[in-house]
Amino acid sequence: MKPRVVLVDDHDLFRAGVRSELGSGIDIVGEAGSIAEAVPLIRELDPDVVLLDVHLPDGGGHAVIAQVAPERPGVRFLALSVSDAAEDVIDVIRAGARGYVTKTISGAELVDAIKRTAEGDAVFSPRLAGFVLDAFRSVAPPVDPELDVLTTREREVLQLIARGYRYKEIAARLHLSVKTVESHVSAVLRKLQLSNRHELTRWAAERRLI
Amino acid sequence: MSSTPYRLPLALPGLRRADGDGAIAGVCAGIARSLRVDATLVRLTFALLAFAGGAGVAAYAGAWLALATESGPRPSPRRRLLGYAALAVAGAIALRGFGFSDSLIWPATLCGAGILLARGRSGIPVVVGLSLVVLGVIVFVDQNASSNGRDAAFESSAVAIALLLVLGPWAWRLAAERDAERTARIRSQERAEMAARVHDSVLQTLALVQREAGDSRRVASLARRQERELRSWLYPDPRADGAGLASAMDAAAAEVEELHGVPVELVRTGDVPVDDRVDALVLAAREAMANAAQHSGADEISTFVDVGDDAIAVYVRDRGTGFDPESLPSGAHGIAESIRGRMERAGGTASISSSPEGTEVELRIRRAP
Repeated sequence: MKPRVVLVDDHDLFRAGVRSELGSGIDIVGEAGSIAEAVPLIRELDPDVVLLDVHLPDGGGHAVIAQVAPERPGVRFLALSVSDAAEDVIDVIRAGARGYVTKTISGAELVDAIKRTAEGDAVFSPRLAGFVLDAFRSVAPPVDPELDVLTTREREVLQLIARGYRYKEIAARLHLSVKTVESHVSAVLRKLQLSNRHELTRWAAERRLI
Repeated sequence: MSSTPYRLPLALPGLRRADGDGAIAGVCAGIARSLRVDATLVRLTFALLAFAGGAGVAAYAGAWLALATESGPRPSPRRRLLGYAALAVAGAIALRGFGFSDSLIWPATLCGAGILLARGRSGIPVVVGLSLVVLGVIVFVDQNASSNGRDAAFESSAVAIALLLVLGPWAWRLAAERDAERTARIRSQERAEMAARVHDSVLQTLALVQREAGDSRRVASLARRQERELRSWLYPDPRADGAGLASAMDAAAAEVEELHGVPVELVRTGDVPVDDRVDALVLAAREAMANAAQHSGADEISTFVDVGDDAIAVYVRDRGTGFDPESLPSGAHGIAESIRGRMERAGGTASISSSPEGTEVELRIRRAP
């Protein structure tokens, strides 16, 4: 089954590039260049995956998720960015995106990331894994141990992602099934979205301010 | 200097009665808004003046008559005149209340008339109004000098106060405009700096890219270098400008990219200051990245720098052809000396795993005690 994808990015050139790179494995059903265009389009088309630029002319990509997600819970968002500014990425993940990839990603890897997003998996780029490891680096005691601390396994998985390993390779290395690796990553994503530990925000603030 | 025509400062720019948020008729709120001060302050002033023989009440009534509301039309001339009269009465009462004699009230009335005449206008009315103000001050000084009843200090202070009243707010406004100008100047400097930056780097790179369009590897490395440069300018990483491991690794990765034209995807967590051992780690990592770029044939290198609680680890991974670490030609000085030897001398370890799917070099040292 080909995932139906809406592409939200304000650069025509980039959209054209993505369309030609994705080729036939992905069905691009719509494109938008702003939050105002994207929200009604996604409501109308109800796609499997929205490929979402973190920066749009009328605001951050997280605004699209905030407006669409409550009434279209089946739509999954994959954030796409050139910025790498940690707080932008964390923002869009916390808004509900299932993953984050940089715009320099190759066509084949992007197809793979979209398919995994469509199946409900979390997609972590090495850089996002680095951000998350940083964010959960614990100094203060956790408020809610369920959400505020990564398990040893989750930390191992994230470290391997940061080292450039793919899920299959991680599974082989840790003697786990790919499904188990995926569920660890999803658990990390959930913690990232739900944890209210002020460490997360403080960390983001430090990155911006100091 | 300001380029706007001279306006008498007591004109209270854009003075209107406030429509909605006034307590009675919006006079105080309107004045406060025009002066950009808190309305309570103005109300308090009026209230205090009300005790000075009812001057505050008269002044309030005068202002109510003379001023238009924010949305409403200008009051009729007769109503305005009545208002001005009430204001003059208020001024007179206030001055009497302070125990001043008629010799002060006449000049004050002249000044008041001058100010009202010049209010919000430019050109001849301002000249006439200013003349009236000056005349009022002169009459005041003259009368009091001849009456001899008060000492010279009082006279000079009265003149000073009058001048302060006239010039103070004007000077204040001037300063505010200067501030605005300064902000605009800073902004234009920023723009100039931005233009210079774009010219020096981005435009040069684009020109190079056009000239070398045939050489895709070279174009990619140019684009990559430009990207890194712009990125570090736009999103300065607080960790990247000190003498820490993070910035040293950034520099090493950038060097390898530039030298060998293979992009290095660098991910790092945490940071430590550079000492001799950390320096050895960076040099070994640089060697590992350079080896991967030169020999593996991979089109990207992944490097992960993990500063843990006890140890620092650097992983350099490629998806290239791989090699057998045991059967290296004797000339392969790089791995034996520059990576392994260096790490061991620094009290750390280097381990290399390689297969046809690629190679990973893992470097590890304990953190300084």
